[in-house]
Amino acid sequence: MSGMKDGIDIARAALAALKAAGADKAAAGFSRGEQSELNVDAGKMSLYRSTVNVSVSVTAYVGGRKGSVSVNRYDDAAVRGAAEEAVAMARSSEPDPANDISPERPLERFAFGPAEPDNALMYERLREFVDYASARYPDTRLEQCILNFAAGESSYANSNGAEFQERSGSYGFQAMFTTKKGEKASSFNYSGASHRDLALPLKDWGNVDLLMRQSTEQLEPGGVGGSFQGDLVIAPDCLGDFISYLDGTYLGDYALITGSSPWKDKLGQKVVSPLFSLRSLPAGPGVEIGYSYTGDGFRAENCDLIDAGVLKNFSLGFYGSNKTGKPRCPSGGGALAVDAGATPLDDMIRDVKRGLLLMRFSGGSPSDNGDFSGVAKNSYLIEDGKIARAVGETMIAGNVAELFSGIRAVSRELVDYGSAVCPWALTGPVTVSGK
Amino acid sequence: MKPDDIRRHAALFTEYTELRAQENRSSRISVLNGDVVGNASGSQAGFSARSYKDGVWGFASSPESGDEAVAAMVAKAGANVRFLASVEGRGLGALPRRPGKSDRDLGTGKPRLGRKELIDFARAVDAYCVRRFPGLLSRSVSLSTLDMEKALVTSDGSEAYSLIPRALVAVSLTVEEAGEPIDLYDIFGGRGQFEDVFDTPEALYPRLDLLVERLKEKAKGAYARPGTHEVILDPDLAGILAHEAIGHTVEADLVLGGSVAADYMGREVASPLVTLVDFAHTAQGETCPVPLWTDDEGTEGRDAVLIEKGVLRSYMHNKETAAHFGAEPTGNARAFGFYDEPLVRMRNTAILPGGSKLADMIASVDDGYYFLRSSNGQADSTSEFMFGVVMGYEIKGGRLGRAVRDCTISGVAFDMLKTIDMLSDDMSWTAAGMCGKKQSIPVGMGGPAVKCRINVGGRS
Repeated sequence: MSGMKDGIDIARAALAALKAAGADKAAAGFSRGEQSELNVDAGKMSLYRSTVNVSVSVTAYVGGRKGSVSVNRYDDAAVRGAAEEAVAMARSSEPDPANDISPERPLERFAFGPAEPDNALMYERLREFVDYASARYPDTRLEQCILNFAAGESSYANSNGAEFQERSGSYGFQAMFTTKKGEKASSFNYSGASHRDLALPLKDWGNVDLLMRQSTEQLEPGGVGGSFQGDLVIAPDCLGDFISYLDGTYLGDYALITGSSPWKDKLGQKVVSPLFSLRSLPAGPGVEIGYSYTGDGFRAENCDLIDAGVLKNFSLGFYGSNKTGKPRCPSGGGALAVDAGATPLDDMIRDVKRGLLLMRFSGGSPSDNGDFSGVAKNSYLIEDGKIARAVGETMIAGNVAELFSGIRAVSRELVDYGSAVCPWALTGPVTVSGK
Repeated sequence: MKPDDIRRHAALFTEYTELRAQENRSSRISVLNGDVVGNASGSQAGFSARSYKDGVWGFASSPESGDEAVAAMVAKAGANVRFLASVEGRGLGALPRRPGKSDRDLGTGKPRLGRKELIDFARAVDAYCVRRFPGLLSRSVSLSTLDMEKALVTSDGSEAYSLIPRALVAVSLTVEEAGEPIDLYDIFGGRGQFEDVFDTPEALYPRLDLLVERLKEKAKGAYARPGTHEVILDPDLAGILAHEAIGHTVEADLVLGGSVAADYMGREVASPLVTLVDFAHTAQGETCPVPLWTDDEGTEGRDAVLIEKGVLRSYMHNKETAAHFGAEPTGNARAFGFYDEPLVRMRNTAILPGGSKLADMIASVDDGYYFLRSSNGQADSTSEFMFGVVMGYEIKGGRLGRAVRDCTISGVAFDMLKTIDMLSDDMSWTAAGMCGKKQSIPVGMGGPAVKCRINVGGRS
């Protein structure tokens, strides 16, 4: 798409169209991206996919009312049409004093990562991975692997004069696999990561190699022998899921605007174990794949969400902040990193009398009060400090806040997913049940 | 855009190729505690081409609709497949074909409602919830629509057009009980544009009344006991059972990827009461929630009878998996956006009804649960499944007892299906499902009430 207009000029033109259509305040974004992707299905290289897309998003504010439209065309007529529709939608809506746009900020431009994929190296890396997997784990099937490169440019402008532009390029890899021998099959598992380059072999991205090795051990899972209160050593892949539950139930816009967050009045207070620190690092360097500005038009700044167990920030956006009167999250709430602890993973396992090494969690969405339950997948029973066996048909139940409050060790080992960094955590008790 | 509008580009095809023009139009209105917090609409329109050669695929997509851009995109798909075939080609022959020719527009013939009318509808639903239940801690009403419009031509002779819309209203309510928030939701609507699916807000009031009554009961409810129990699954859960527990394991691409169903063809995998079908477009004389007359590879859609009286009879296929298994393609290849390649996806997956009455089924359970509403669900290559359950009741001595709080149920499908000993004589469809498998896509799920034994995960 060389030869196209600068994205910030398209965003500015959309702003002008919004104002001309009658918006009091306005915000506009323009993005264009190209993606190059190689797929493996059922162990075989199957698809080479190239996609191009653009997006114009416009938001009109009229007397405190708001309307948003997005289209994937950027010719003058399409932009004007989207702007007029957004203004009409805003006029049909209801006023809300919390609707607002970010303050003036002169244009800043950011650039991260390569602009073009190394297609030859992408193919070589994926072929190397397929060959490695089939040689090292001959009974393990690569259900699907996706290696992609995404490059794009995004621009933001609003009628207060806040402007940002970011160009970003990165590679992403996800591998999903299962082991099958005769009629026995393991549960599928998956891992992956995003990085700015292809320096590492794909088996070393995220937790891929460890989970593939474990998959071969999980063909004949046993039971846990009934129901008991036990500990969990939670793997980094899985800890990320519980952090997303933490965000949705306790920290995010919906939970705070509705008032359902059990932590709504706990800013500055201890909410979880002092061993747990959760930081949002979009500006790096602790997280490789960050971002430069938030969706609501602020420069993305690193911040602590939880520091040594104390709630430092909610993940509220600008609207949520205006609505609740609580501070806006300076980072936008992404690019999460959990601090490493001081305990080796092996020592954490040794500290468990009876519990699970939880490698994947397949659970229902937590209730508003944080209660969760689900299946412990690809997991192991720990007895007397040792891994006893892989387990199947095993369920766990607990409460998200209690889970994080119960943390009594965090590993010194970290897994780098590129867009997040996570250790292992030892916590409990939770209800474990199974055959 | 109709096939007539894109047929001329078929002259550019150099390999087996599918050319699709597609636009997804979406709209969302969100009302949170009475405030309109979301008021957005969007459109994603463009072209894609996918080519096949020697057992591998090349794909390209672009939002540009000019002849030059489409030609470049078709050429890119061809270049991609030739590159991949040159290094990974497997020398496989031509794909099987059963070209679909269909033209289906399920858009409304009624005058379209304006934005204000739609916002007023959502606000009226919200206002009723406040009147009906003044003690609510919070309430959320969300109105969403999705129109998927596709035109397809393929080099093996298919030409198809479809406009398949869906309109939903989701209501989530939260109360506080002993200092803890307790929530429950329901979703209304399904296939069709808003004007064809919904009448007046008042028409929803009886279902909102039921939602409120159940939430009150749930707030006073107990935790489910962990362990294996005899349960009745309401049709809402039977639908997700059909989809998650069984459906995914018999998608042919997942069978090739390691699903245990690879070993079960022709074997008894369920109680003889169980017949499971993935319907293409019509079931029991009615158009399905997500009808598909021609799939996105251009194959005429046919029903896939997956389990017949307990015996595994078929997988769901695209052209490539059908060739691998020596089967007929079933028309299960679907793509969500113009930028997405077709994958083997379910359409309208349902367990067929049996001969029992729900009341008799409940009466037959001495100590168990009646589960009514699910949240999310997940499948596994082992056929072990999980669903979240957000509404249910204890059954004691054949009678419904206390409501239960949120829990999760799970089991190994090909074991659990053998425990089914009663199916109700009616069935209903869930038309609000979205299935995630690389791409997220609308699906229909259905079934009768099911009596079986299942694992319940809960706080003891």
